[in-house]
Parts: sequence; structure tokens; C-alpha cells
Amino acid sequence: MPECVTRYFAVMEYSEDAVIRLPNGLPGFEQEREFVLIDQPSHRPMVFFQSLRTPHLCFLALPVLSVDRAYRLAVTPDDLAVLQLDLSRQPKIGDEVMCLCFIASGEDRKMSANLLSPIVINIATRVAVQAIQTGCHYSHRHPLTAGEPEAVCS
Amino acid sequence: MLVVRRREGESVMIGGEIEVVILEAGPNRVKLGIMAPREVLVFRKELELTREQNRAAATALNVADITGVLNGLKLSTDPPEGDHV
Repeated sequence: MPECVTRYFAVMEYSEDAVIRLPNGLPGFEQEREFVLIDQPSHRPMVFFQSLRTPHLCFLALPVLSVDRAYRLAVTPDDLAVLQLDLSRQPKIGDEVMCLCFIASGEDRKMSANLLSPIVINIATRVAVQAIQTGCHYSHRHPLTAGEPEAVCS
Repeated sequence: MLVVRRREGESVMIGGEIEVVILEAGPNRVKLGIMAPREVLVFRKELELTREQNRAAATALNVADITGVLNGLKLSTDPPEGDHV
């Protein structure tokens, strides 16, 4: 099995069919097109989105549904075409696609999740895009803070 | 911020070379046409926000700190992605 050097777990083996391919890379990281998902039970629901090209590049991510149970995808037709999915409707999270959001720490050291631009992975083909949502009001810095009152939708 | 009221078919100029035309104005969205020299990058702001946020997400994070914060949150873990049985 091929091996990769990871940021947080030294050298790990992976199987070719586990490789997630992003034909467009990621905004800011356009050359990064191959990743593996490292899922360690002790860190769930968080997962590690490790670049195969750059050992020190590893994003920490959460399933969007773990951050917002009512999260609704709004993937553009262009992104659906990259994912090779039906252009006429939104894919089902967990069924057709896996949907992750990256965690970042702000200057104030407060952590947030990027719900504006989730990583959408076609479960069958492992092709993925960072799908910038359209016509929605999801934040690129959705706060991850404990003890916050439930958001009230109006 | 400069605020300008325009109707469909009207334009604003930015500098001498960039023209923004209002092609369609609906109740919730407008359709813009942008004419600019090749070297001027035109993109949606969300793309820039995503790029900045990706760069922030790629910088060193302390996994133990994050796991600590996440444990303090009521994140749903069951099941992590959908209803696989």
C-alpha cells in the first residue's frame, strides 16, 4: 500500500481507492488536488483532511450536519457537473455525498467552521469540490463556541 | 461607500476602463455584466472569503485544544454522515 507523510500522525498507509480528488483544488491551494480523510475515533466527529502532496497541509474538518443539523446544500450546477451528479436537484448528504466544513482559528483564537464553502465529496467516485454555496446566508466563520444559546430562526 | 441608483440597462464606470451594466434587476437578485481589461480579476466575494478562510484553516492548530473545545459543544456524532446502517 502507498504511504504518505501526514501532519499529525507521522507516516500512514492509505489505499488508492480512498484518495479524494479535487479537480479544481481549493481556493488558495489550487495545486492541492489529492487528499485522504483520516478518521480517528478519539477525535470524532472531527476528521483530518490530509494533502497527499504537502505533508504539512492538513485541514481539520467537521461533518456539516454535526455543526448544523438542518444544513441545506445549495451546490451550483458547475460544481454538480464536476461532481458528476444530477444537475436538476441537490444531492443528499450522507447518501450521495459527504459534506465537511473546515475549522479555523481566528485572530481572537476563537474557532469557527466554514459553512459557506463546504467540501462536498461524491461518495461513489471520491471526486470532490469546495462548493461555495449560493443564495444562502451561511457564514464562512460560523462560531464554534460552547454555551451559546440556540440560534433562533425567523 | 458610494451608493448609486440604477435601472436595468444602465451602467456605472469604475475608472476609465471598467463598466458594470445592470442587465436584470429582480426582487431578490440582480444580473450584472462587467466589462474590464483582461488583467483585472473579477470574481464573487465569496471566493475571496473562502480563499482567506482556507489559508486560516491551514495554519497550525492545536488538535488537543480543538478536541477540548469540540467536547464542550453539543455536536451531533450519531451518525457522522447520514443514516448508514
